[in-house]
Amino acid sequence: MADATNPIEQFQIKPIVDFSIAGYDLSFTNSSYFMVAAVLLIVTLLSVATGKRALVPGRAQSVAELTYEFVAGMIRSTAGPDGLRFFPLVFTLFAFVLMSNMLGMMHYFPAPGLKGFTTTSHLIVTIGLAAIVMSVVVGYGVYKNGFGFLKLFVPSGVPAAVLPFVVLIEVISFLSRPISLSVRLFANMLAGHILLKVFAGFIVMLGAAGGAWAALGILPFFMVVAITALEFLVAFLQAYVFAILTCIYLSDALHPGH
Amino acid sequence: MSRREEPTFTTPPDPDDFETRLNAKLEARRRAEAEARKGPSGWALGVRYGSEFTGGVIVGGGLGYIADLVFGWTPFGLLVGVCLGFAAGALNVVRAAQSMNNASGAEDGPRDDA
Repeated sequence: MADATNPIEQFQIKPIVDFSIAGYDLSFTNSSYFMVAAVLLIVTLLSVATGKRALVPGRAQSVAELTYEFVAGMIRSTAGPDGLRFFPLVFTLFAFVLMSNMLGMMHYFPAPGLKGFTTTSHLIVTIGLAAIVMSVVVGYGVYKNGFGFLKLFVPSGVPAAVLPFVVLIEVISFLSRPISLSVRLFANMLAGHILLKVFAGFIVMLGAAGGAWAALGILPFFMVVAITALEFLVAFLQAYVFAILTCIYLSDALHPGH
Repeated sequence: MSRREEPTFTTPPDPDDFETRLNAKLEARRRAEAEARKGPSGWALGVRYGSEFTGGVIVGGGLGYIADLVFGWTPFGLLVGVCLGFAAGALNVVRAAQSMNNASGAEDGPRDDA
């Protein structure tokens, strides 16, 4: 009963296979399970969908093609055509975040314990994703532009007197990108799932109270239905936002200097 | 064809033509406007701006704190760092708002603000 209404129990990481190296706990957890499940699902679905290579796509193939076009269009419009060299990275990130978010929307899942889990509701996962993005941005930016990459921190048309300040602020602003990128995804998923669980908990509590209270339980029920719909939107939207911000940051690596 | 000389000029020449075209245009425009106004949900917007701003302050404060530890400027590194972080956070928010306006305003053309 306590578990049924505890809104943050769903985020607990439980080891499935215990494993440790030199005192470091490297257990295969439910979080790892859902990451592997997301990757396997993406790979399987996409290869099944595109396996036939029909000239006139069927339903599955057009979904795959739509996703491809969607991501390609996103890169083209934000980072320019030369940003398309990063298509594999952006598509992978988008697909992974989207699939993780969507798997998180399932309350029951064929996993040990049969519980659903949202990997993206853990800050460490989203920070890891953001770190990948930022290392690609910095790495490619320096590789392609050399010291020219530092132009990113020097906006044009600023008087020399305030330039040091502005550069400092720009550097801080740049360093804050991975934080805001990861915190946004994490906070959205965490808050949404807590909200869902809290309202679902109200139903259980009102039902347990019995009598007229139980009849009132219909109200949080409608709320849960509405929030579930909203959460599906958020799940997609956050994957989209993550991908589009990746594109915008990558465009800085391609074309530094404002 | 006994009613051949039915006066055609009393009925407007093409009643539907203009109206349907106008309606189609209005409909398309209304839909586009609703789409633009809907944008991201308020919650998403809030978290977006919030995380942009918080990120700036956290990084600024963190850098200031590190400067304190390394150079022994306590507490001025932290103070200045938080102030600069505040400015960076505000800058982040302005950039985010700009890019969002551009996204809802003109969909075509690459964004050049980021």
